[in-house]
Amino acid sequence: MYQYDAIDQQLVEERVAQFRDQTRRYLNEELSEQEFLPLRLQNGLYVQRYAPMLRVAIPYGMLSSEQLRKLADISCRYDKSYGHFSTRQNLQLNWPKLEDVPDILAELAEVQMHAVQTSGNCIRNTTTDQYAGVISDEVVDPRPYCELIRQWSTFHPEFAFLPRKFKIAVNATESADRAATQVHDIGLHIKKNDAGEIGFKVIVGGGLGRTPMVGVTISEFIPREDLLTYLDAIIRVYNQHGRRDNKYKARIKILVKALGIEEFRSRVDAEWAHLRGKESTVPMTEFERLQNFFTAPAYETLQNNPENLTSKLASSAGFARWYERNTFEHKTAGYRIVTLTLKKAGQAPGDATADQMIKAADLADQYSFGELRVSHEQNLVLADVQQDKLVELWEASKEAGFATPTLGLLTDMICCPGGDFCALANAKSIPIAAQIQDTFNDLDYLYDLGNIDLNISGCMNACGHHHVGNIGILGVDKKGEEFYQISIGGASGHDASIGKILGPSFAQEDISTIIQRLMNVYVENRSEEERFIDTYRRVGITPFKEAAYAKAN
Amino acid sequence: MPKLIKNGEIIDNSYTWIQDADQAVNSTSIVPAQKWLAEQETIGKVAGIWLAAGDGTECLHDIDLSQFDVIGIHFPAFVDGRGFSYARLLRERLNFKGEVRALGEFIPDQLGYLLRVGFNGFQFNEEVDLEKALALHKPFSISYQGDVSEPRPIFLRRQA
Repeated sequence: MYQYDAIDQQLVEERVAQFRDQTRRYLNEELSEQEFLPLRLQNGLYVQRYAPMLRVAIPYGMLSSEQLRKLADISCRYDKSYGHFSTRQNLQLNWPKLEDVPDILAELAEVQMHAVQTSGNCIRNTTTDQYAGVISDEVVDPRPYCELIRQWSTFHPEFAFLPRKFKIAVNATESADRAATQVHDIGLHIKKNDAGEIGFKVIVGGGLGRTPMVGVTISEFIPREDLLTYLDAIIRVYNQHGRRDNKYKARIKILVKALGIEEFRSRVDAEWAHLRGKESTVPMTEFERLQNFFTAPAYETLQNNPENLTSKLASSAGFARWYERNTFEHKTAGYRIVTLTLKKAGQAPGDATADQMIKAADLADQYSFGELRVSHEQNLVLADVQQDKLVELWEASKEAGFATPTLGLLTDMICCPGGDFCALANAKSIPIAAQIQDTFNDLDYLYDLGNIDLNISGCMNACGHHHVGNIGILGVDKKGEEFYQISIGGASGHDASIGKILGPSFAQEDISTIIQRLMNVYVENRSEEERFIDTYRRVGITPFKEAAYAKAN
Repeated sequence: MPKLIKNGEIIDNSYTWIQDADQAVNSTSIVPAQKWLAEQETIGKVAGIWLAAGDGTECLHDIDLSQFDVIGIHFPAFVDGRGFSYARLLRERLNFKGEVRALGEFIPDQLGYLLRVGFNGFQFNEEVDLEKALALHKPFSISYQGDVSEPRPIFLRRQA
């Protein structure tokens, strides 16, 4: 993974000093609440329902075991010994003291970490596929390009006070879009043109929140050397023309929609004409420099399907289940990608205790060259595990609560922290996740249902991505009581779509019953091998709606 | 006389920022760009013009900017970042060499970014302590991107 040189290190250290001074001036009342607000947000610090929340950046989800141990250590000394992995591959600490944050940032800087631009109306952490660099069908490893974007976006002087937050996600494979790029402000798809040159298909104007939209293609191919000037052009148009009068209409998607993609594109092209070929054009030497940080680790020469794996697969249904669901094909013979799920019943989705973080770091050292990734679905990934060590790793993962074999199934939910923590939430999300975990605890049944994305958000800000869940649950406030609206038909991959709302919202205690009814409609209507989303797309919303609102008799 | 920060020093402000379109103007006035554009044949010599948020810089494309000592850019709120793009366009696209002055609600903690996009004059609100503001001039000694004073991004400087 990327390693800081003296320049990168100096920059994060100067950021710590800057934020320490800003915090001091705020506490001395030299900076007003209103002035401090965007400054602290650009450093990932929210003031939440009960305490501040600090969001630590995990650039494109890459994490070393040393960094994860440091996060565990910080969570013990400054927080309540746990953290929450978010859908944008970051880690949130829910209980730090505001006056401790400069010290936390100083400790993070010791392991090349920071909280820069994890919030605020600026360019946020760039995200990508958690399997980057280890799958066989990607065009190229997207991580060097993510690092290029990270550096370009960090303290970008022109774009620190945009109309609204700005999120970029990168995908590099046709077979899947694990980074939900189509619902980002900019989605980048790495591709090669007919001449074999590397570039990007650029999608703009996707986003969730109050007005969810799937992005539209602004360019089929931008050569990689022109990426930064093209991004500058898009964001310069947005910075000048995006709405600033209403925060709910301030994302770039609203501007793209208002102007129409043709007009938006022509404005970007006009701007780009001035920037293209100038200093920000990336030289090949820089791509090479960045690629050198993401070379393959020292893989051994191994065969696929070693005997200890195949015999365990034959003898243990539990292991076979875990192997099928929680591991994924690696591009190198004899290796496998393993997901350590953070979706154990009784634990909030995406939460990891300090002990679990330390355990995961140990497993990474032992089985995966000391590196981990954080996934958009709020799990941890060991990318480079020898197949002949899978049985061992499975045993160790079970002990640590990482082996719930439900990756991609109904109970592998995406869930925001909700009303238990978040000041913005209208309703709690974690109890809904817990209710669904409790109700759907029969693994055979979950396997029979197959791949279903269920996403839960506690408010319209949609941090739990409910719009793009095959089933989406949204907390709403009705006269001071918490209710939940359910939508179906959303998807976040290459076939991204926004879910449709079933109808009036439901009481908290009824959610599992309604989900059960939706599952019954699916099971009755599905043809063989048809996923939930495919059945929905074929039969439409009506049968689901009828079942959900049927009167009990 | 009110003070401002210019080129890293605290100096007297010898210009008058004209905010009311009906106010009389003279050679020390910084007048609204829209007013100047409408009255350019008759308005006479002014010190400069200022852009409101929303004006953009395209309205100045056909104007000889070298006649102005100063072009102001107004921040209606410090979180309204349009002025950052305007300053950069004035410098890099329209090649304006005079003073680019920040006016309005910007705050000292933005100085680092403001300098990098081409501002060199800062007319703060009266309550701002300029000595303290000066200390916030340069929060970072290096930067990843190119900017107005150093157009080369880090990847052209790292190897150097």
